[in-house]
Amino acid sequence: MAGVVTAAPATATGPAAIPQGPGAGSVPWLLLMPATAALVLLFVLPIGYVLLLSFTDPQVSLAHYQRIFAVPLYTRILFNTFATSLTVTVICLLLAYPLAYVISRRNDWISLVLLICVAVCFWTGFIVRTYAWLVILGNKGPVAAVWQGLGLGAPPQLLFTSFASTLGMTHILLPYMVLALYSVMKKIDPNLLRAAASLGARPNAAFRAVFLPLSLPGVVNGSILVFTICLGFFVTPILLGTPKDMMISQLVNQQIEELLAWGFASAIAVVLLIATSIVLAIYNRFVGLDRLWG
Amino acid sequence: MTRIITRRKLIHGAGATAATLALAPSIIRGAGAQERTVYVNTWGGSWTAAEEAAYFKPFTAKTGIRVRTVAPVSFAKLKAQVQSGQYEWDVSGLGIVEFSQAMHEGLLEPIDHSIIDRTQYPPQNINQFGVASVVLSTVLVYRKDKFPNGGPQSWADFWDVKKFPGNRCLYDRSFTTLAFALLADGVPADKLYPLDLDRAFKKLNEIKPHIKVWWTQGAQSQQLIQDGEVDMIAMWNARAQELIDRGAPLEIVWNGAENYTSFRFVAKGTPRAKLAWEYLKFASQPQQEAAFCSILPYGPANPKAFDYISPEVAAKMPSRPDRVKVAYQPDAEWLAPRLGQIRERFAQWLAS
Repeated sequence: MAGVVTAAPATATGPAAIPQGPGAGSVPWLLLMPATAALVLLFVLPIGYVLLLSFTDPQVSLAHYQRIFAVPLYTRILFNTFATSLTVTVICLLLAYPLAYVISRRNDWISLVLLICVAVCFWTGFIVRTYAWLVILGNKGPVAAVWQGLGLGAPPQLLFTSFASTLGMTHILLPYMVLALYSVMKKIDPNLLRAAASLGARPNAAFRAVFLPLSLPGVVNGSILVFTICLGFFVTPILLGTPKDMMISQLVNQQIEELLAWGFASAIAVVLLIATSIVLAIYNRFVGLDRLWG
Repeated sequence: MTRIITRRKLIHGAGATAATLALAPSIIRGAGAQERTVYVNTWGGSWTAAEEAAYFKPFTAKTGIRVRTVAPVSFAKLKAQVQSGQYEWDVSGLGIVEFSQAMHEGLLEPIDHSIIDRTQYPPQNINQFGVASVVLSTVLVYRKDKFPNGGPQSWADFWDVKKFPGNRCLYDRSFTTLAFALLADGVPADKLYPLDLDRAFKKLNEIKPHIKVWWTQGAQSQQLIQDGEVDMIAMWNARAQELIDRGAPLEIVWNGAENYTSFRFVAKGTPRAKLAWEYLKFASQPQQEAAFCSILPYGPANPKAFDYISPEVAAKMPSRPDRVKVAYQPDAEWLAPRLGQIRERFAQWLAS
């Protein structure tokens, strides 16, 4: 997530720094300096340090990397982290797309109310929202009460399952997806859809041929945002899930805080970084990361 | 002309920059602060409030040394401070196992015997790096409304799902849970260490299907037992006491409790070590420990502190002499070098 956010200003400076005429040659480079310096100081150097630690703490060796791939637990956690992030991203997208569509296409109180709901959700702390799910899914919560009220017997265990953990993460990340989609959909000119209709396209065809392709930057943007935040999720799976749902950031935290094993923790972080880069590279190959910037 | 920056320099620079950025607030503050100030690492919340009343205020009144606090307590921060040489705080406290790990890693300042007088403390309460402060206990707690005729009285009962049916919850801390399993399997408390890991994991297999959830955060354990999400749990005594004081129908079973002694220490190499030892000496007095534990229901590590505590207040404390007899202490010396491997095996077992 940090990468996506910090990269934004650097790219934003790009177009602004196009040379305006003769003699302006050094100006773009000067304009790029603050962003570059910030990126190097806050991003490149610390990551370089983490990389160094992963090979040198406590002694120079590849042992940490060997351990990650030799102990089944760690490869499983790594796989689980990506699988969970992908699931959450897909569910978020499926839920958010129609919602963002309605909010952006209607210009009335309904869209306003929906937008406010999304924003309030966005602004509520995620710990609060996680604890809310503990109450809602708990054995004295409304779900269990309705279940028993319908005479269905003892309610199934919802809490402390992979289901609860995925649900909680989806809820927390949904506003990111909605807002990413909304910002792009709002900019789509309604006249384009009218033009399609005037040329004989039915609403479905107009949506598929015009609206959907134009909204794809929002889909890409939202998906990457949700996916990368989800990769680093921490508290929600601990509180709502089972030990089997352990995410990689829990493992890193455990190694750093409980065991002071910074070298091993760094190696895990490096593996996560490389794996994430590979995913983004594949994405770039087939979709194009440049779509991120609209 | 090109300047050649070696990789080594670059990386060192990177480390130093990262450390400087992380500790920037303390450097800025350090420059402007008065000379006679000691920085104490604390948990925040009610813990810090109790420390304020029992330690900080009387200490400043007596010595004129000011106390500033930094929260929360972080084991990792200790290592970062010692490695970078930038100190955000000088004094902290850690449970005996982390304290031993810190000793092995060389992160602690040796006791300044010109300030700390060894003979003032019971021998088990002091070593060359720190002084014991309070005792926290991990105890068996059950809901009285679920077991009106008496609940589980031991870890063997906790394991007995036929006699005491109900949802169970254990603490996701490897050595604590492994020791409870051995107690349940009939190992006497004084023979627990060195832990027989194979036997402990075998016993844990029996109870695993009945553990509804494994807790990691103190607040989480409180919520689980208070809401009746689980009927019995292994949790910290002070957290349980807080719920009981608020009216929750809970019973604490002291039998088989894990008494976890916290040690106060000074971060290795801090420039304010003298002041830090002055503070540590003051805070480790029985009267001060008694004042602190009268506010929060932890137990003083120093038995002399009980001279200053009323029997009603002492009834809540894990270090009361009769309770110490039925409890055990983890063998930190044995655990510290093995904790990484035990943690790994435990996590693997949990995830399988």
